[in-house]
Amino acid sequence: MKKIIALLLSSVMALSFTACGGGTAGEGGSESAAAPTGETLNVFVWTEYVPQSVVDKFTEETGIKVNLSTYSSNEDMLAKVKAESDGAFDIIQPSDYMVEQCINQGIIQEIDLSKIPNFSNIGDAYKNPSYDPGNKYSVPYLGGVGGIAVNRAQITDDIDSYADLFDPKYEGQLVVLDDFRAVIGIAAKSLGYDFNETDPEKLAEIKEQVLKLKNNIKLYDSDSPKSALISGECNLAFCWSAEIALANAENPDVEIVFPEEGPYLFFDNWCITSGSQHVDAAHKFIDYMSRPDVMQEVLAEFPYLCANTAAVEAMGEEYSANPAKNPPADVIAKGSYVKNLDTDTIATYDEIWTELKK
Amino acid sequence: MRRKTKAKLKKGLSVVYCSLIYLFLFLPIFVIAANSFNATTTKPYLTWKGFSLMWYGKLFDNTTLLQSFGNTMAIAFASTAISVIIGTLAAVGMYKYKFKGKSVIDALLYIPVVIPEIVLGISLLTLFSNVNIPRGMITLILAHATFSIPFVVFNIRARLSGYDNSIEEASMDLGASRISTFFNITLPVLAPGIFGGGVLAFTLSIDDVIISYFTNGQTKTFPLKVMESIKSGVSPDINALSVLILLGTMAVVFITQSGILNKKDRRN
Amino acid sequence: MTKHNFRSNTLPSVIMVGPVVLWLVFFIAIPLLYVAVMSFCSIDESYNIVFRFTTVNYKRLCDINYVQIYGQSILIAVLTTIVCILLAYPFSFLIARTTSKSKAFLYMLVIIPFWTNSLIRIYGWRTFLGTSGWLNMLLMKIGLVDSPVNMLFKRGTTVLGMVYCLFPYMVLPLYTAIEKLDKSLLEASSDLGAKGPQTFFRVILPLTSSGIFSGSIMVFIPTLGYFFVSDILGGGNSDVIGNLIERQFQSGNNWPLGAALSIILIVITLLLVKLYQKCGGDMESLGV
Repeated sequence: MKKIIALLLSSVMALSFTACGGGTAGEGGSESAAAPTGETLNVFVWTEYVPQSVVDKFTEETGIKVNLSTYSSNEDMLAKVKAESDGAFDIIQPSDYMVEQCINQGIIQEIDLSKIPNFSNIGDAYKNPSYDPGNKYSVPYLGGVGGIAVNRAQITDDIDSYADLFDPKYEGQLVVLDDFRAVIGIAAKSLGYDFNETDPEKLAEIKEQVLKLKNNIKLYDSDSPKSALISGECNLAFCWSAEIALANAENPDVEIVFPEEGPYLFFDNWCITSGSQHVDAAHKFIDYMSRPDVMQEVLAEFPYLCANTAAVEAMGEEYSANPAKNPPADVIAKGSYVKNLDTDTIATYDEIWTELKK
Repeated sequence: MRRKTKAKLKKGLSVVYCSLIYLFLFLPIFVIAANSFNATTTKPYLTWKGFSLMWYGKLFDNTTLLQSFGNTMAIAFASTAISVIIGTLAAVGMYKYKFKGKSVIDALLYIPVVIPEIVLGISLLTLFSNVNIPRGMITLILAHATFSIPFVVFNIRARLSGYDNSIEEASMDLGASRISTFFNITLPVLAPGIFGGGVLAFTLSIDDVIISYFTNGQTKTFPLKVMESIKSGVSPDINALSVLILLGTMAVVFITQSGILNKKDRRN
Repeated sequence: MTKHNFRSNTLPSVIMVGPVVLWLVFFIAIPLLYVAVMSFCSIDESYNIVFRFTTVNYKRLCDINYVQIYGQSILIAVLTTIVCILLAYPFSFLIARTTSKSKAFLYMLVIIPFWTNSLIRIYGWRTFLGTSGWLNMLLMKIGLVDSPVNMLFKRGTTVLGMVYCLFPYMVLPLYTAIEKLDKSLLEASSDLGAKGPQTFFRVILPLTSSGIFSGSIMVFIPTLGYFFVSDILGGGNSDVIGNLIERQFQSGNNWPLGAALSIILIVITLLLVKLYQKCGGDMESLGV
């Protein structure tokens, strides 16, 4: 018996020698290609948000290599950046409230806007956000709403609010963002409370509401909820607007609904970490990502609400008239962003979430 | 007569049973292989859009994927080398010499074998983060060597249980130094155990997900690359690479095995 | 003579055993102790670890929500182990006692799938079982069902994935134990008039119980930590303790709580290993 294992194992070993020849050769090759510039930017972004092709073009243009890593939630990102040593990441992409938190925690540094001439392409409506007055630390990238997706071939009921998602008849049909602030926030909205509710009594009610979702949720997925919609795994979703647009492109039965309570809003931004060793290269990257032609390419793959007005104008009707891609201004006006809350309230949120997910 | 049909039925049933188990084991492999020929170009790459070999071509343009595979190989080699050296010395030393605290070493060696990987992963993460070693290739190699060393030690120990100390004594009586005795006498005898342990370490390292997940920093190994791609739908070039790896492994195994068998036959 | 031997042996034994001792101390003992210490710490407003003694994490561990997840976790592990034994025992028996020349080949066929990355195979199951996956297409084609059956993202799917991942760890020790069975004992048993089931329960099962024990240990314990299986196949609905730990070290940003959760896993592991040794289990058979 042992002999058989040894025999098997030794053959595997032999293979690895051959395989390794190929493997390390490939590695050496790609390294020597980037060697002349010697600089590598570590960029940490949301999953399904920055196309690899766009990043490759940046490397072609500047010779600066980019190492792209992805995360699934703001909290994930924060944990990873804090756990790693200084300079492990150069650029991160926090959402609105997280920018504020990163500033308070000193993990991002001020951005020199004079090095980002393409900042002028950002629309006035997106400049000077409340979480970072004067854009001292952040350059807006993409955003959107947490919309409702309905597969009309399967569900014909009237669905026009977050509250509808809590209806027990949708048992096992729902995919939602794996994000405690977003899910608890819409539960609060469905009861008519604030998206960032802090009142303990109301939170107790919200908890009851959230738990109603338990049977309805089939899958938690912040990365690619469209997959479940396209494959027909789920007929209802609470997810990022652009994911719904992409699902719709693959399966026209999937439609977006903007909740009448006013949607959950998010906006993501480019920031440079305070430990970054490549500050100039980081500015170059952010400037590159603010160019209209680059953003057009991004929008073709990930059609989110875009802060780059010049790019939006160039995209034409197909983009700007599609509400899932470019949510209308009146919808945005009704929406609310996640706000930073005190630790006790966050602990309550955390409890609600654990109880939902257990 | 009745006994014969009964025996036949028994045999048939066992063949069916084993086939079902093999089907269970190979089913996902078939799914992976089939999807590597899928002509789809849109995420999540699940709808069948016709047969194509294009992903096998695209695979070689995907430098980040190839690099992750290169990383996996480099880490496997380095960690195997470390664990084989340290493990061999330890196994022989612990067998030959009597000293206090042996049982403590033994207990520590069993920890990576029995404890859930996640515990080792997070404990190494806290260590690396506390002494501020930047996560990357180095930490991955250290972590992989840590879970590999015990397997090397145990593999060699199994070999040592029948080891005769007197050959070494004879060697030294004949004037050989300790060091030359170790290299000329001890090592050749233990070679199969060392080799087996090394290969085990190598295979464990290649497929490790959990411990790498906590100790990788920005360095991506092939399994971690797969993990990341699962989030948005595994693109068929990853399937293609997996199929190539599997075919390569199988080819080498069958070639070496038939080689070994042939040799055996000849000896007989 | 002995004295001389002792002196001359000190240096070589330090050279040989020293490296492993240093390695084990640095990369196993110290990290685990550090985790234990950390489990008594807390975090401040900006998620930094505060090194002041507190039992707050252990109090949180007793939270009913967590306790239910441990329960679910253990349930998943028990089911996985039982299914593994039931599937692997007859299988190992047939493979180990086959007289055909292809024995080595049959055994190798068990290992081959494991040369492919485990994550992608788990993802393969997800593709296969999905609403628009092969299985549902097949079922609909042969008219067994009209609309796709929901199979994914349930506790059963997680158990399936765990069984799949850990199956060889059950086959390996069972195969060894069964192969060691002395054929003459079985013959003696039947010569003495024992019927098939009697031989099995009185002779075969007791003689192969060591294989079942070590297989169970090697399946049960990892199941508690395999968070990626429940992530991919459970869809977040059937978490194991590993998911809780992973979450605290990632999005939860609460390392001390994660450390305390790890201590639970360590305690469970120690208890099971002690039980295993009590039952006469051999530690070496877990390693190789």
